[in-house]
Amino acid sequence: MPSYKLTYFNVRGRAELIRLLFATGGIPYEDVRIGRDKWPELKPKTPMGQIPILEVDGQVYCQSMAIARFVAREAGLLGESSSDQARADMLLDGGAEVGELLKEVVLEKDASKRAEKKKEFSEKSLPHFLTLYEGFANDSGHFVGESLTWADISFFNMMDFLTAEFPSALDGYDKLSKVIENVKSNPGIAKWLKERPVTDH
Amino acid sequence: GVHCGACRKMSVYELHYFNNRGRAEPARLLFAAAGLPYRDIRIQSEQWPEYKLKLPMHQVPVLEVDGTMICQSVAIARYVAKVTGHAGKTDLEQAKVDMLVDGIDDVMTKKGDYVWHEKDETRKMEKKNAFYETTLPQFLSRFEKLLLTNGGDGFLVGEGLAHADAWFLCLADDVLLDFPDIFTPYPKLAALVERIRTYPGIKEWLAKRPQTEF
Repeated sequence: MPSYKLTYFNVRGRAELIRLLFATGGIPYEDVRIGRDKWPELKPKTPMGQIPILEVDGQVYCQSMAIARFVAREAGLLGESSSDQARADMLLDGGAEVGELLKEVVLEKDASKRAEKKKEFSEKSLPHFLTLYEGFANDSGHFVGESLTWADISFFNMMDFLTAEFPSALDGYDKLSKVIENVKSNPGIAKWLKERPVTDH
Repeated sequence: GVHCGACRKMSVYELHYFNNRGRAEPARLLFAAAGLPYRDIRIQSEQWPEYKLKLPMHQVPVLEVDGTMICQSVAIARYVAKVTGHAGKTDLEQAKVDMLVDGIDDVMTKKGDYVWHEKDETRKMEKKNAFYETTLPQFLSRFEKLLLTNGGDGFLVGEGLAHADAWFLCLADDVLLDFPDIFTPYPKLAALVERIRTYPGIKEWLAKRPQTEF
């Protein structure tokens, strides 16, 4: 069994999808969380000067989506065929785009600009995204095929961040709500959600 | 095309994008490298408002495979690489290819930020300078080291061309337009660019592809 060591800050951020995937697959790993003061020392030792990084038997990988895809593959959550996998990839990438737009809202320091950005996001980008994704989900609450894939888990993770700003975002989206239910009730994920450190992002 | 052994059918590929290289070019390079035929659709801007409504996320590129639509440029390129055997051989190789693609994508996004999103001319110039003085050199320096971890004189990962190499050529094509000498401090990367440019199939495509500004 290979040894996995994930290094990131003590937040959910760009590592949480990876942690959720390890949890779903029941794959043991070292969940290293470093303080910001330790980062300058570690940075030059990473492949691209960024974290998260995943060390697998001594080899170091960076880029959160690349790492997540690798763990999803090991956990059997990628999707069966190449076209299933491509569908999952496209849904994840679309979700990441919305994630970036949400970040622009959340990171805005000027209070009135922030309110403006938040309003525009909630009136345009968010409904546009949720409407599209409600269409992508099937009646059983899955994005790819009839069983859990990393597309569902990634959507859940995204909504975790989104509902911090927009608590009732999923009201009226029945299929998307089912996706969330399916992910939350997965035993590995349910356990992780109970045990994970509580952080503000 | 790709033969389905059981039904002896060739898959039909159609790539929808605008008439430029942009985010469709990595997929085009991969089709070319494999000699895999596809329909290279280039949408006119007048058609766009209606066209986009038919697409999964109202964006291009979109790859249609026997009628199924896949969007998101990185997902598309990875899929084409998989069906043409350019995805990386082991799970770990595939992870390494993915991480390099994501790194290139990050840099391309930063470039796109000042080219497309910054409207103020002064800010645009400032951001462009910051990109070429800091962001890109930092990236190329790290990227050359990553190439060296695979020997330095072949492709980025493993033995053969992978979609990371296709993305890298696209980035190189863009930045070389601004600064033809940009690779002078990175001889191994410069050699990699030439290696990809002369790859059978890609060489012919580069000679005949529509010449567009970006």
